[in-house]
Amino acid sequence: MEAGKEIVRFEQAGLAYEDAPDTLSDVTMTLREGEFRFLTGPSGAGKTTLLKMIYLAHKPTRGRFFLFGEDAMDAPREALPALRRRIGVVFQEFRLLDHLTAYENVALPMKVAGVNQSQYREDVRELLNWVGLGDRMHAKPPTLSGGEKQRVALARSLVSKPDLILADEPTGNVDPAMGERIMKLFVELNKLGAAVVVATHDLHLVQSIGKPVLRIANGKVTRSAGAGGAGSL
Amino acid sequence: MTQADDRDDAPRGAGDKPPRQGLFGRQSAPLLPEAGAAGAPLVAVIAVMSFLAVLAMASLLMVNRAASEWTSALRSEITVQVKGADAGGIAAGVEAAMRVLNETDGVIEATVRSQEDTAALLEPWLGQGNAEAFLTIPAIIEVKAAPALRNDLDLLRSRLKAAAPGATLDDHARWHDRLAGAARSGQALAFGVFLLVMAAACAISIFAARAGLAANHEIVSVLHLVGATDGFIAAEVQRRFFVLGLRGALIGLVAALAALLLAGFAVRAGGFDDSFLPAFNLGGWMMLWLAAAPIATCLVTAMTARLTVLNTLSKQY
Repeated sequence: MEAGKEIVRFEQAGLAYEDAPDTLSDVTMTLREGEFRFLTGPSGAGKTTLLKMIYLAHKPTRGRFFLFGEDAMDAPREALPALRRRIGVVFQEFRLLDHLTAYENVALPMKVAGVNQSQYREDVRELLNWVGLGDRMHAKPPTLSGGEKQRVALARSLVSKPDLILADEPTGNVDPAMGERIMKLFVELNKLGAAVVVATHDLHLVQSIGKPVLRIANGKVTRSAGAGGAGSL
Repeated sequence: MTQADDRDDAPRGAGDKPPRQGLFGRQSAPLLPEAGAAGAPLVAVIAVMSFLAVLAMASLLMVNRAASEWTSALRSEITVQVKGADAGGIAAGVEAAMRVLNETDGVIEATVRSQEDTAALLEPWLGQGNAEAFLTIPAIIEVKAAPALRNDLDLLRSRLKAAAPGATLDDHARWHDRLAGAARSGQALAFGVFLLVMAAACAISIFAARAGLAANHEIVSVLHLVGATDGFIAAEVQRRFFVLGLRGALIGLVAALAALLLAGFAVRAGGFDDSFLPAFNLGGWMMLWLAAAPIATCLVTAMTARLTVLNTLSKQY
């Protein structure tokens, strides 16, 4: 089978915060179109940091990093928003805007992309209905529970139909049934062509989905011995 | 935990209200929240800046008008002074000078001031009645001159000298130059104050924009991460500052107009209407220029905020 296009490629990339020891060192991995990876490792191992490098929140301090085939380390600032719009992120801490409604939070990626509301209104409503928040579209995050916020964040990450979905502990604040629905959604989106990376502690979830696992330990990314399915590292 | 459980801790009510309906349909919330460092204090400061800008502009306009009135009056008049050893000599000199003036093209009107009027001019220095008693007061002829004559007074000066040796012609050039110089200084001062106010508005905008970015760091970060360009974020901040600036500018304009109207009443109440001061009114073009001052403050504030945000964001990844 022909390998899909490269979505993410790190070559001996590392990240260090000022004079602190390396948070990540010597990361070499490739993620291709249509691939699904779990990212596991102990707390503080650098799972979130690796995701932050991928969604262009942090720039690697050494090595090379390519995103959607473009050199993301040398790309001009003006090119970065277009790359970010191709990524849907479910942040661990949700990162919803408290002064906006659930609807407006979900619509945010479309609004900043300059899309006319008439073109995304139904998609936003459909997504909010799908995550069970159809009746809370006008609620603001401070009035939502942790699980509801998680689902709004999930809907926001999917509204622009991204090529790459990154999720940091996406099932951490929802009940098992919703967690299973979310993971099934990721699998479905992956089947439709989106590359997916899910950082999680939930090994039961990892085993039940049966997708390859990348393990982070001591600032390095390794392919877990127990990973299922084919995949590049 | 069930799906229902995870919703139990969420309060219900106010947050579930549908968004307000605007005049042109659904009104979405601004991406930057109303509250924050760039709120009411900024409106207050811009109101003060606009107030000062309007006063500076009013000063500039009044100095312009005063300078124009003073210098045009001086430029259209010349004075002929006729000296003599005694009243008879002065009268003969006046007669000869008037003959020359009446024969000169460009002399619109020549009027001899009465002896009493001339003596009255000296009263502030010599006291009442003293001038005529102890001095031979020269005669003064006030001449309204056409601009063409004003540009070439040497011939008239020499003809007057020939007809009446005691006659001297004063074209007020010395006063004209001094007043013009004073007017230029006044204009420069008023314009300088206006520029200072604009510079202060810039400095305040920079400070407020930076404070606003710091206060809304999380929002800006999220906007970036969902794909917002620097220009998009800067436009949001610019829009916010423009709205705040407009509020402040209107408050400042109204306050300044009230202050100017009060000053106008005070001037009229003080009986200075027909004096050296220029006419004081807020009509027509003056209102347009005064309204331009707070609008300039508002635009400077918004543009400075935009540039500050773009500059700050350009240093981030």
